[in-house]
Amino acid sequence: MSEQEEQLKSPADELSFREASEELEAIVRELEGNQLELEESLKRYERGIGLLRILRGRLTEAQQKLTVLLGELEPESDDVIDTTLS
Amino acid sequence: MTQSLSVSQALALAKGSLEQINVTIIGEISELSDKPGYKAVYFTLSDSDAALSCLMWRNVQRQLDVELRRGMLVEASGAFTVYAAKGRMNFDVKKLRLAGEGELRLKVARLAKKLEAQGLMDPARKRPLPPYPTSIALITSPRGKAIHDVIRTLRRRYPLAEVLVVGVPVEGATAPKQLIEGLRVAQDSSAEVILLVRGGGSYEDLMPFNDEELAQAIAASALPVVTGIGHEPDNSIADMVADLRASTPTAAAERVVPDKSELAASLARMEASFTRSLTAMFETHALRLDGAAQRLQQAFPLKFERDRQRIASLASRLATLGSKSLAPFTAFVELNAARLHDLSPLSALARGYSISYDQDGHVVSSVDAVKSDQQLSVRLVDGSLACTIKEKRHEKTLDISQATYPEENHV
Repeated sequence: MSEQEEQLKSPADELSFREASEELEAIVRELEGNQLELEESLKRYERGIGLLRILRGRLTEAQQKLTVLLGELEPESDDVIDTTLS
Repeated sequence: MTQSLSVSQALALAKGSLEQINVTIIGEISELSDKPGYKAVYFTLSDSDAALSCLMWRNVQRQLDVELRRGMLVEASGAFTVYAAKGRMNFDVKKLRLAGEGELRLKVARLAKKLEAQGLMDPARKRPLPPYPTSIALITSPRGKAIHDVIRTLRRRYPLAEVLVVGVPVEGATAPKQLIEGLRVAQDSSAEVILLVRGGGSYEDLMPFNDEELAQAIAASALPVVTGIGHEPDNSIADMVADLRASTPTAAAERVVPDKSELAASLARMEASFTRSLTAMFETHALRLDGAAQRLQQAFPLKFERDRQRIASLASRLATLGSKSLAPFTAFVELNAARLHDLSPLSALARGYSISYDQDGHVVSSVDAVKSDQQLSVRLVDGSLACTIKEKRHEKTLDISQATYPEENHV
């Protein structure tokens, strides 16, 4: 990656989960490919660690968001029965 | 008294009466005999309490759009008749169609065939699902267990995705239209994938999902559609035209999102992998450096090292050689030094001998070399004497080989 591309790269926390995952996978492949200069590998490694941290954080901190577009969502009526049964 | 009838007459009478009874009967085909040589197909229609032998002439059978099978629930229309040779009553079937669910299934099967012919079920049409959807539209009934199963599953597996609930009735005559409206709403939203689900129910309950217009709407959807309708064996038209078919609502939810714990495991694998790669790279570089250092060390002083060794070896050989060759030499020198000492004229002088020199310093070794009155210098061990020759006498020459030295100190 050229310096210019490096600068164009978005900060890791602005990426979507998919984008961050894909970039991380690409980094893993590049590092496994073992074709990079040592300095470049270190840069990739650093970026990879950053992406990992963000992805892990999102996985653990995410709260499901629910929006009703149509109809009226009824609360689960048989919650109690469900738990006893399961 | 009535007149007695022959058996044939009696059966003919019965036959005439029975053939007046035209009815439509619903029953299950419990026995079936369809042999190529026969002019008719024979089968038994039964319910829980009764059984009826039926026959269907080949010309009637050829017009059927279903293949008769045991266990089929059918509506058979025809009349009773009597087979005189055996005195047996039969039901002569003139028309037959699948009854109840059987009929529905047949309709669905026909629609499936039609849509398949239109290419709506072509595997090539099935679109891949977004691997990490940020937004999922959930089209289902807002009531009941299915919607909560799905929401719970999505929350457990992938809470990162927003769930957009599109609640529509999933049963009844208007259900297909409302499901189609639900699809439209979902496509207008920010959703990346659509979940179309419904909990279990009877075959009739699931019929809205066998609607042709709904099938066309699913096929035309701009977003991939994943279905989870009813339970495992249920297979609706909606399932067949969907991009992905799951057996239940929960299974459908599982298919649209990755699993959080699997993702965490995959992240851990990636971390391990690139840490390993980097470590390996460091090792490779370190090894290369070591190698270079070694080669440098070898390449440069190698020549000198060889020379040094050669010189060292030479020096050592020389030393050995030197000490070996010097010893006899030293011994020789020491021996000769002793003999030289013995041979020195000075040692002879010490024993009392003297040496005479003429005026020119020549040693006088014969009386013939001097004249009377000649001056001689006689060297003794501790000095010299100035002498004048008074007289010369010849004597017999001393034979050295037989001479006895005055002192026996020879080597």
